[in-house]
Amino acid sequence: MKEDALKVIKDVLGKGRKELVEYEAKQVLKAYGLPVPDEKLAKTLDEALEYAGEIGYPVVLKLMSPQILHKSDARVVALNIKNEDELKKKWEEIHENAKKYRPDAEILGVLVAPMLKPGREVIIGVTEDPQFGHAIMFGLGGIFVEILKDVTFRIIPIEEKDAWAMIKSIKGYPILAGARGEPPADMEALVKMILKVSELVDDLKDYIKEMDLNPVFVYNEGEGAVVVDARIILK
Amino acid sequence: MEVPKIVEELKPFFEPKAVAIIGATNKKGKVGNVIFENFKRNKEKGIFKGNIYPVNPKLDEIDGYKVYKSVKELPNDTDLAVISIPAPFVPATMRDIAEKGIKAVIIITGGFGELGEEGKKLEREIYEIAKANGIRVIGPNCVGVYVPDTGVDTVFLPEEKMDRPKSGPIAFVSQSGAFAAAMLDWAALAGIGIGKMVSYGNKIDVDDADLMDYFIYDEQIKVVTFYIEGVKDGRKFIEAAKRITKVKPVIALKSGRTEYGAKAASSHTGSLAGADVIYDAVFKQTGIIRAEDFEHMFDTAKAFAKCKLPKGDRVGIVTDGGGAGVMASDAVAKFGLKMAQLSEETLNFLKENLPPHAVAGNPTDVVGDTDAQRYKIAIEAFVNDPNVDAILVIVLFQVPLLNEEEVIEILAEYAKKSEKPIVAVAMGGRKTEHYAKLLEEKGVPVYPTPERGVRALADLVRYVKYLEKVKGE
Repeated sequence: MKEDALKVIKDVLGKGRKELVEYEAKQVLKAYGLPVPDEKLAKTLDEALEYAGEIGYPVVLKLMSPQILHKSDARVVALNIKNEDELKKKWEEIHENAKKYRPDAEILGVLVAPMLKPGREVIIGVTEDPQFGHAIMFGLGGIFVEILKDVTFRIIPIEEKDAWAMIKSIKGYPILAGARGEPPADMEALVKMILKVSELVDDLKDYIKEMDLNPVFVYNEGEGAVVVDARIILK
Repeated sequence: MEVPKIVEELKPFFEPKAVAIIGATNKKGKVGNVIFENFKRNKEKGIFKGNIYPVNPKLDEIDGYKVYKSVKELPNDTDLAVISIPAPFVPATMRDIAEKGIKAVIIITGGFGELGEEGKKLEREIYEIAKANGIRVIGPNCVGVYVPDTGVDTVFLPEEKMDRPKSGPIAFVSQSGAFAAAMLDWAALAGIGIGKMVSYGNKIDVDDADLMDYFIYDEQIKVVTFYIEGVKDGRKFIEAAKRITKVKPVIALKSGRTEYGAKAASSHTGSLAGADVIYDAVFKQTGIIRAEDFEHMFDTAKAFAKCKLPKGDRVGIVTDGGGAGVMASDAVAKFGLKMAQLSEETLNFLKENLPPHAVAGNPTDVVGDTDAQRYKIAIEAFVNDPNVDAILVIVLFQVPLLNEEEVIEILAEYAKKSEKPIVAVAMGGRKTEHYAKLLEEKGVPVYPTPERGVRALADLVRYVKYLEKVKGE
């Protein structure tokens, strides 16, 4: 567990980088059993076509570059690709966009991922406080975090009761509990995720500075949750 | 339960056998004089039972007390030293103290780390000496310790300018000396009993965590209040807080609410994490109740000091004014409590025993022509109703037929014999304040508004819920 995650981190540090690209961050998360989509890093167009075939259309392409961390700003994400022709076209397009955004961008590959069905969006994050050490954050995604700042923190490591208290303490909790006739979200899956992030960061606290799992899609009760995008910043 | 060594280490601060007052002087108003006077006065009153040894190289005696020229000359029973000499002389004195074998030191003197690098160097020097010799230090730059029961009083604000509160089950810890002094003075006026006060200033050694560990074993203390500006060792604080909140409630007032994290954050999470939300997290996780302001802190502290803990969150309200009852009901919702659904039996009892124009229900309104007996009927009914966990009694003492002393007796009697917490609300002016004070003295916490009374009940409930959560861990 720890060894696999540490290997990814040490590789990145070895290359003189302080920030993991999405693909690397997800490898770290996966090492701790956090649910990430079944996705692969393609180095060539042929690989991308092969992986897309395995995953099954529609797919998503995300270009991975240490110089491009705000992927939507650089327009290097292509969603809902329905077939091979479209994939070929989008492959060119995101590479061109990358070049325009950062001509010097080093391209590690393109992440080929399944098009996920939408869920309720939440954010799980980590920051480091100079007095108390690492703290974990939970909140609803989108405007709830951006504008209303409806988030809650706890100091790592946390216990299961803390994870439950976090989920229940945000103002947007009714959205997870099931407002306006919606079924409740899979909160047990969320609790597990929050606890795993706490465990991961507690193990790797000497390396990790900050972390955003944003967004995480949480599905209806019993259907789980998945990390859609992730960033990890090292010390 | 094995008593940790911190309890033995801190004991001389609170009940010394003999105190050396280093920098004692006969010059009125000087810090070294006020502290000496405090101990002398308490000795004369028979409260301070230890010996008092003034230390000053320039004097032979003060007010009939022999003055020692140096620490080296001090009798061997000295177990506490209170230092009020200028900062640059403190390290040398600390060395003498170490040689003498005194293990508890309060450094009142300012002019250390708060002034910059020079002062920080002095602090480090003092700390090294303390550490190497097993000496515990409170301060520097503080007002030290106040314990009404043992007569320890290093607060250098003279008694004629600052009242001292009576003893009680509340411990009060303050980083700031000025705030500590102001609060003691105010607590004296408000009739709030403070069992122990510690102001640790720059806290080079004894800190919040040490004091929390000490108070776990202090039988006199039922609730601990903290005024905190900043915590140095966050992890130590969290561990100690988790230990004490399992045993007694802790209430913290943390200043700097609006402060933002100055550090540059590159993640989304980092940008949302100011210092204040982190403190919030720490308090929630450790079961510490966070106070909005000092009124909130002491409102809640006195509820813990005087009340039994509720079994649940259902509140019953008795009032003699409809408006005040509505305000209280609003506050019940605002603070996340529930209005109790009275049992049939209770409702019937109330209807049978109260006059027809009184309102039986929750709130029960005994109305403006009430006498004390209607209160007794309503309180009796609420105490016996299994659907009621906590009782808020609003007494508008202004109503014409209410015998004040009688209703006070009734409230005090039920507060004492009932297993449920009972708090009172008395809104009004000068006369009300007088009766509120009498009621407080009889062991019932009284609040000037329904909102503040309900908030105190809500904190009791919150603490009970925290205890339920940590139980079995």
